[in-house]
Parts: sequence; structure tokens; C-alpha cells
Amino acid sequence: MALVEFFSSLGLPYGWAWVLSQGILILVLSVVLLVMLAFLLLFDRKVWAAVQMRRGPNVVGIFGLLQSFADFIKFATKEAVIPAGANKGVYLLAPLLAFVLAMASWAVVPVGPGWVVADINVGILYLFAISSLGVYGIIMGGWASNSKYAFLGALRSAAQMVSYEVSIGFVLITVLLFAGSLNISDIVNSQGPDIRGWNAFGILFPMFVIFFISALAETNRPPFDLPEAESELVAGFMVEYSSTPYLLFMVGEYLNIVLMCAMLSILFFGGWLPPIDIWPLNAVPGVLWLIAKVVFFFFMFAMVKAIVPRYRYDQLMRLGWKVFLPTSLVWVILTAGYLIVFDRLPV
Amino acid sequence: MAKLIIDGKEIEADPTLTLLQACEMAGAEIPRFCYHERLSIAGNCRMCLVEWVGSPKPQASCALQVKDIPPNRDGTPAKINTSSPVARKAREGVMEFLLINHPLDCPICDQGGECDLQDQAMGYGRASFNRFEENKRAVEDKYMGPLVKTSMNRCIQCTRCVRFATEIAGVPDLGATGRGEDMEITTYLEKAIDSELSGNVIDLCPVGALLSKPYSFTARPWELRKTESIDVMDAMGCNIRIDSRGREVMRILPRINEGVNEEWLGDKSRFVWDGLKRQRLDRPFIRRNGKLEPASWAEAFAAIAAKVKTIAPAKMAAIVGDLAAAEEIKALRDLMRSLNVANLDCRQDGAKIGGGPRQSYLFNSTFAGIEAADAILLIGTNPRWEAPVLNARIRKTWLYGNLKIANVGAPRDLTYPVQQLGTSASVLEDLVSGANPFAEILKNAARPMIIVGAGALSRADGAAILRLAAQLAASTGAIGPAGNATEGGWSGLNVLHSAASRVAGLDLSFLPGAGGRDTGAILEGAANGDIEFVYLLGADEIDTSRLGKAFLVYQGTHGDIGAHRADVILPAAAYTEKSGLYVNAEGRVQLANRATFPPGEAKEDWAILRALSDVLGKTLPYDTVEQLREKLYAELPHFVVRDVPAQHVGADPAIWNAVGTAGKIDAARPLASPIVDYYLSNAIARASETMAECSRIYVQRSQEAAE
Amino acid sequence: MAWLDRTARTIFLWDFVMGFAVAMKYFFRPKATLNYPFERSALSPRFRGEHALRRYASGEERCIACKLCEAVCPAQAITIEAEPREDGSRRTTRYDIDMVKCIYCGLCQEACPVDAIVEGPNLDFSVETREELYYDKARLLANGDRWEREIAKNLELDAPYR
Repeated sequence: MALVEFFSSLGLPYGWAWVLSQGILILVLSVVLLVMLAFLLLFDRKVWAAVQMRRGPNVVGIFGLLQSFADFIKFATKEAVIPAGANKGVYLLAPLLAFVLAMASWAVVPVGPGWVVADINVGILYLFAISSLGVYGIIMGGWASNSKYAFLGALRSAAQMVSYEVSIGFVLITVLLFAGSLNISDIVNSQGPDIRGWNAFGILFPMFVIFFISALAETNRPPFDLPEAESELVAGFMVEYSSTPYLLFMVGEYLNIVLMCAMLSILFFGGWLPPIDIWPLNAVPGVLWLIAKVVFFFFMFAMVKAIVPRYRYDQLMRLGWKVFLPTSLVWVILTAGYLIVFDRLPV
Repeated sequence: MAKLIIDGKEIEADPTLTLLQACEMAGAEIPRFCYHERLSIAGNCRMCLVEWVGSPKPQASCALQVKDIPPNRDGTPAKINTSSPVARKAREGVMEFLLINHPLDCPICDQGGECDLQDQAMGYGRASFNRFEENKRAVEDKYMGPLVKTSMNRCIQCTRCVRFATEIAGVPDLGATGRGEDMEITTYLEKAIDSELSGNVIDLCPVGALLSKPYSFTARPWELRKTESIDVMDAMGCNIRIDSRGREVMRILPRINEGVNEEWLGDKSRFVWDGLKRQRLDRPFIRRNGKLEPASWAEAFAAIAAKVKTIAPAKMAAIVGDLAAAEEIKALRDLMRSLNVANLDCRQDGAKIGGGPRQSYLFNSTFAGIEAADAILLIGTNPRWEAPVLNARIRKTWLYGNLKIANVGAPRDLTYPVQQLGTSASVLEDLVSGANPFAEILKNAARPMIIVGAGALSRADGAAILRLAAQLAASTGAIGPAGNATEGGWSGLNVLHSAASRVAGLDLSFLPGAGGRDTGAILEGAANGDIEFVYLLGADEIDTSRLGKAFLVYQGTHGDIGAHRADVILPAAAYTEKSGLYVNAEGRVQLANRATFPPGEAKEDWAILRALSDVLGKTLPYDTVEQLREKLYAELPHFVVRDVPAQHVGADPAIWNAVGTAGKIDAARPLASPIVDYYLSNAIARASETMAECSRIYVQRSQEAAE
Repeated sequence: MAWLDRTARTIFLWDFVMGFAVAMKYFFRPKATLNYPFERSALSPRFRGEHALRRYASGEERCIACKLCEAVCPAQAITIEAEPREDGSRRTTRYDIDMVKCIYCGLCQEACPVDAIVEGPNLDFSVETREELYYDKARLLANGDRWEREIAKNLELDAPYR
């Protein structure tokens, strides 16, 4: 809002000033996010390497810090192969869709108190809707590749994502019951002022676990990466993709992972709130707390990738439909009951 | 028949066989170095030792005849063991002795990979066992001429080479000096082996002591592709194996064919291969402003077509050279006949032969039949140069039998005693009339042979000489019942051609048509302008200076005499580069396979003629060589059956009285062989450096010495 | 009881926690890998790396063009042409190894009767174009000159076991 006022004071009409300021916000968020993503990618590989007693990328830049940028240049300059018989429009649209949706969901994520591009009242609903749309990128890519392997990969991927979205929805409901609002900033604020109010450390802890695991499945991360399964299925729905389109898919996927980390922090770990509300800690800007939490969860994601073997497809489905769905359903009732019985309903 | 028990197997063997042959009949493999089927028995390598049960020592099987092996005292057949511990130990001992002084230089030895000693050391050598600390003997390498390279350290004194030179080649130039460890094979005063068959000692040498000089260090036997083919250096049609690597012919070896070359091969045939790589025509040329310039096939054909259109058929002529295969002779003949050209000739030496029955121009006795002959009259021929392997067979017959040989023509050293009857053709008249005493010998002989050479036939009075020879044959009984010598039949009138293509050309009657000119007349016509277009199919032995202003098309392989004068040059494939049928002097049709590909843009001869016929608007009715052969078989059925000499049909006067034409003979002119230099008798040989070196050493030096 | 135990472990993600602990233990262990271009592991004297043609101490090339390596090469990577040198000795005029075809089996050095062709200790000879991997005689001899000390040492160390 400060930006809008600044531009208005320069004599711009309110509408233009708003557009300009939003544009700047989006740009700053996107750049910071993508640069952060570059280092998170390296972090991911480094963690994985460390668990396996390897070094990981260490040649490009000191400690391999520039590895992701080198990879980016490589991807961007390689030839984009479009398979014969592919539906060219859909084929190219699919990675774009996946990437744009992944970016768009960040619009409602508050990275600090009031630091949000669109502080809408139904932020959670928006987020849920956008992440449901993500399936389309995958289905389109798999179908347009004109390859049975890509298509089968896309089907598996879609089935998996849809399955786990159901339980994620119920988990969200439990959180919403506590927060009493669909606005994400409100959800964070409802967990204040310190670690005692965080959702994860209370009756919602099992929901935190379910959300964490479902997030893995939702983002096709190991141990639920069977649509991609790089060691045997090559890349599932992405098998025909190369160069920049592939890069877009991959960045989109990692953006979703980081988003999931952010959601974990916001829904269960108090978002930008410091763990203890005392002086040196509460002086730290909220965004740094959020980043710290995101990085921690990302580390957990990476560790899961390193230590948990891949699930079989039937195990994956069983977990989603026969464990997580009933559990989360029961927990919705339990939570609601708890809130009513102990008169803890938010106002 | 004597009974023997060899390795427990009882066999009946001819008493005159050696024990080694008997063992092989029984299926046992006997290692040997000095023993060779076609050489006398020396028995000095001791590798063929076998155990004769009861005998105190192992026996050298090559030197023991079956008749010398009595049955045991109780009457049971003698027992021979070829692979018993006794025989094996004996051979291992012999191998150990041989290897004491044999250098371990297999890696740098050209024989490596095809070496008898190497192979047998694998079988009988004692692995990791050495009790000799002494130095190996060292022997100085000997000079044996430009073809045979020596590495005498490797010699195991089997003396095969000495026996070959003395017995087969008939040049006692090789021998052994010293004895025991000091024995050395050497030539007489470091002299080159003065034989046209010297290359065969390379094949005979069981180790790497005698090697091919031109082939040295260039290839290994295992990397060579082996193609069975036919030699075209002379009219014998020797069976050869062409060893090639990639696109290159690396060497030529003889194949065994008892009917033709046994297992020998003349030096020219064996070493001419470097001529296939030099002076080759690899693209068409057209003479523009007096200079030959490279051109494309289409341009060359267009130039020929333009010329042919302007010239009447009567002013066109075609001559076939010495190395052509039957396919291209037929293709050229068909093309020329379709153009109504009658001036055709396949006898570029101008021999007065052909046109009559097939028997009138064949070597009717067959080469194998020589061994049944007991008197031979040579007329105007030098078999040592015209067909060295044939000469070796005559020598072999003389050596092992009671053969009397007489010669009418220039006296030459033919490696066997020859009764010199004179050089004038008038001697033949004396023989016919019985005035010459040799007529009596011919008459008394059971199987007399008369060999008329190209030197006699290519004279102006060649036909008359042939008639005289036929009369002599008839009057001496040289023409007997039908069949070959083994079947009891006999025909003693033989024509020995000097060119590989001659018989095929005569079979296909590539001869002047009605009113046509022969070679001499073509040249004469060209000189005075009556002939304006001459097509040479590899004909290089004609006098091109007599061609006058005629437009000359030369189709051939080498930039030789014909190509120098040509107006259009069509590059063709040499005999190693095409599949072709050749007919040898005895009428034997043989197939030569392609070993390599022609260089550059050169094409197979028949295909060139087929393409040219298309441009001339007279398309020949065959598109593949198989179709061409089908047409050839339909025309000449005897081409269907290969590797069989022409059968003698008996003393049919209708045939034999038609041989030659009666006429006056030129008594003043001496009879001589047409070949002045064995080593340079055709275009390929003239391109070969090896042949030039041989010619310098063997021919020119001896001519200088004679002068 | 066992059921209870198993269910409790499942609910509290005990396997994951233990796995995490193990992973973290290895996380801080020293790395098993080498920082390759800067650190190298020890090579066996029998290591089969880049080929080299050796010379005698006199400077005379060892290869005598026996073509045994060409014959034994299972990948047919070696091409040799030979002819007599001016002094009459048997030498190669061409000795090519197609390093792209080569499978580094070492049969060529086993076949060589004069230890001329050897596979030296050099293992990083990557190049930017395919053509550079078609080694000719000059290149192989240069390799031999450059690596002679190491090759000779390796041959000496390996000799007792041959």
C-alpha cells in the first residue's frame, strides 16, 4: 500500500499506481523466489549427496554454488525437441501452464506480516484451487507428447495428485476450524504469539504429519515419485520433454515443493512468527523466520528423498484412501468436537 | 597289396607307396618338413617319425616304402603307431633339435601365421622347457635374385628348395654347403635363381627362410581375403589364389589343379601384382588438340558415338588384346556385328589360325596328357617363356620317363635335353617326307606330340606350317582314337598359344567377317587411310605407329602402348578386378572371381561395352553379367561345363585335313618364339617394377652376356 | 502386544525417525568420493589407460609390425600397415588406434612380443572432437615418450607376476 501511495504522490492516477506497484511486488517476489529456488535446488542435491557420502555439485562456483545457473544456461540453450505427431500447441502450453500455476499460487502466500501480493479473504481456497489445476499441466503434457509412456505417466500422476488432494482438503479444514478464517495472514496470526500457539504442537499434530506426507505425494516427491521414477520410468509424463519446456516443468515442480514447505510453515508452524516472542528473536524480520522454516522443511523433504524407499502404486493408493482420508475425516470431527467442548471456537 | 595295421586300423596299401602316404590313407596326420609329394624323398628332417612296433627305433615314414615293411614273424600285419608315446616323444625330440638353432623371430617373419614349423611347434614343442644355453647359429643371408628374399637363420635344411630347383625347375643353382650345424643352403656364387619358376621355392619353404621379396613385411596371412581366380599371363590358365587386403592385391599364390598347373606358378604370374597398382587408367580420357585430357564417361561415349556416325562400317575395325575374358569379347563382337563391322580380329599377333574346327587351335593332348607322351616335337615355340609351368611338366615327363624331345626353331635352354633339328621351317617338310631321322622316332612313339607355337603361326606362312604339322601328325600316327590320354585316346597335334584370351576369341569367332580384314590388313588399312576407326580391347602388342590417322578407341587397364596412341581411353578392370570366363590353350573354361575393385572410375569391360552400345543406339540384350553368360552358353554350350579340357574326337579326316592351308613356306626365315622378354610380355607386366627388375637381371644381362 | 508395538511405531513414524537418525549420522561422515581432478586415487601398475608406443633406450621404436595386436584386437580398433624400412628392418608405416572403438581390454599389450604397445597410466585424455581420438603413430610414439618413466615403472612392478 505504501507503494501505491508513493506512486499516487508522483501524480499517477490510483488505478495506474496500483497496477505499477503490484507489478513491482510481483517482480520482486518472482525474482527472489526463483533465485532462492536455484540455491534450494543445489541444497537438495547437496543434502542428498551428503547422506550418500558424496560431495554433490562442487565444480561450478565455490562449493558448486552456481551449479543451478549453469544448469539453467544449459537447459535454455539446448535444442527443444518436439516429437513427431505431438500436438504442438498443447505440448508447449503444458509446461507453461505448470510453471504459471506454480508461480500464481505464490500470490496469496504472506511472507511476512502484510507482505503479500494479494491479501484476499479466501486465500486458502484460492491456493487449493490453483494446486488442483496443476494436474492439468501434467495431463496436457502427457497427452500432447503422443507417447504411451508419457500418457501412462500422466494418468498415474493425476490419479496420485487427486487422491492426496482429498486428504489435504480435510487437513486444511481442521486448520481452518482453529483459525476461523480463510485468509492466510489470519491463519498465521491465529497461531500467535509464539511456539505455544502453533498448530503443529497440539491436537493438530497428526494432521501436520498427514499434511507433510500428502505434500510429498502431491508434489511427486520421493517416496511417492512413481510417476517420474527416474531410475526406471525415465520421467513419466515428461519423458518426451527437453530443453526449456522441461525446465519449466521442473521449476514448476520445485516451486510447488517450496510452496508446500511454505504451507507447512504457515499452517502448522506459525508462518513468519518467531518461536519465542522475546527481544532478539521478535526483532528479526518475519520473512527471515518464514524462510528459515521453509528451508527446514525443504531439508526434511530432501532427507525423505534420501532415506525412504519408493512406494508401490497400490501402497500409495492404500495410504491415501484407506489411511489418510478416514484419519483426517475423523480428525475433522474430533477437532470440531474439541473446539465446541472446550469452547475454543475462534470468534 | 600289403597289409598294415596303422593306429589299430588295418589297411591295404600299394607296396610302392611310402609309409607316410599309407598312414595318411589310414587317416593319420603325419607332420613333415622335408617330404613333399612332388619332390624326391630326402628323409632328412625326421619329423615324420612313427613307431613300428617291434622295431628298436622309430622310423622315418617318408623314406620307408610299404614293401620294405615285412609282416610280423607270426604272419600278422606290421603294426604302425603314429601317435603313440614313442612316436610323439621322437617328434618332440626332433622339434627340440630343430628349434635349437631356429630364431624366435616369428613376429617379424613373413611366414608367421602360415608356417609349418610354427604350427607343428604348437603340437610338438615342449612348452616352457629349454635346456640350451648356447648361442644360436647365425647364417649369412644369401642373394637369390629379385624375387626371393632369404633369411637363412631360419633355415631348417629340409632341402625342399634344392630339390625343387634341381628336379622341377631344372636349374641346379641351389645347393647345400657344409654339414651338420654348418650346413647352409646357398646359390652358386651368389647368383640369382635363373628360373621362371623360382617363386615356387617360397611356397615350398616350410619356414620363413625363403620369402617373397615384393610382399615382404606388407601383410599377414590372416588379414588377407582369399579369392580363387585364373591367371592370364599365359595361355595355360593357371589356377591362382589372389590374396587381397582392402582394395589392394597383396600377393598371388598358385592353387592346386592337377590338370593345369599342379601346384606351380610362373614368376610373372606370381609377382605381376604390383603392376596392377601402377600406370592404371582410372578415368576416361579424350584427346583434345593432340593432348589426352580427363573426361567423364558420358563425354567419352559421346565422342565415340559422334565419330562412329560419320564413318562407314567398312572403315571400322576392332582388335581384342591378350588379356580379355570371354564376356567382353562376346560383348564387343555383338556390338561390332550390330554395327555391321566385319573387320574384327582377336589375333593381335596375326596368327594364321582359327575359323576351322575347334581342334585346329587347341592343345589337344591336354597338359596332363604330356605325362603320357614319349616324343615331343616343338615347332617355333619356347615353352619355358610361353608357358613355364607347361615346360616344367615336359621336364618332369622327361625326368621320370623315356621322353625324346626335338625342336624346330631358335635353340633355347629348356632345362631338358632337346634334339635341335634346325631353325628353318623346311625341316618340317623333311619330317613329313621322312627325310629327317626324328620322323622315325615320332612314328615309333606310342604317343607323339607336336607342339606348334605362336612363333610359327604368326608368320605369313603360319597356315602352311600348321598344315605341315597336321600332315606330320597324321603320317606319324599322332592323331589317335577319341578321348584323353587316360582314356586311351590321343591327339598329338597341339597349338600352344601365348595369350590368355586367344582361345575364347577363336571360340567366339572374333575373326574377320565376310570381306573383313585381319589384324595385319587392319593396320595396313589404317596406315593408308582405308580404316578410320579402330577399337582396341586391351590390345597393346600391335604396332601403333602403323595406325595412321585412324580414330583409336582404347579400352584397357594400363597406360601402355595402345593408350598412348588412343583418341579416347575407356578405363577397364584388370583380371583381378572382374569376374570372367577364360579358356586356356587346352579348351578348358575356367571362372576367375573378382578379388578387388577397379580403381577410380574404371568399370568392368562388358559393362563399358553395354553402356557404349546404349549410346550408339545398338543396345546389347543383356543387363547383367549373368544374362551375358546365359547368352554365351546358348551360343557355345561347351562354356557351361567348367574346368574340363576339350575332348579329343578321334581321327576324323574331315577335321584334321582342314587344319591350316597348304602353301609355300618361307624357308629362309628362322622360326622363333614371339616372346622376346618373358617378364615384359603384356601391359600389366610392363607396369610392374618387380617384372622390370627381373627383366633387367635375367633377360638383359644374359643378352649382354651373349653378345 | 506385538500388534500394539507395530501400530505405535507406525503412528509415530518410528521407522522414519530411525532412518533419519542413520542418515544424519552419515551426513557428517567424511566423504567417500574424491575431488577428482585435484585428488586422485592410487592406480594399479596394471591399470589400462591411454595407449602408447614405446621406444628402446637407443631411441629405436620397439614396434616391429608383427600385427599381433591388430589381429587380437576384439574391437578391431587397430590398423597397421608395414613395409621394409631403408635399413631392411620391419617397421610400421602406419599405426592407428581408433580410441573410440577401443574397449581398453589390454589384449594388445598382452599380445605384443616386444612390449611396444602398452596401455599407460593416463586416464584423462578427453578431447573435444571425435577426430582427435583417432590416434596415429606419431601421437602414440609421443605418448610413449611422455609416459615412458611411469610405464617402465609399472612394467617393472608387474613383472614378478607374469
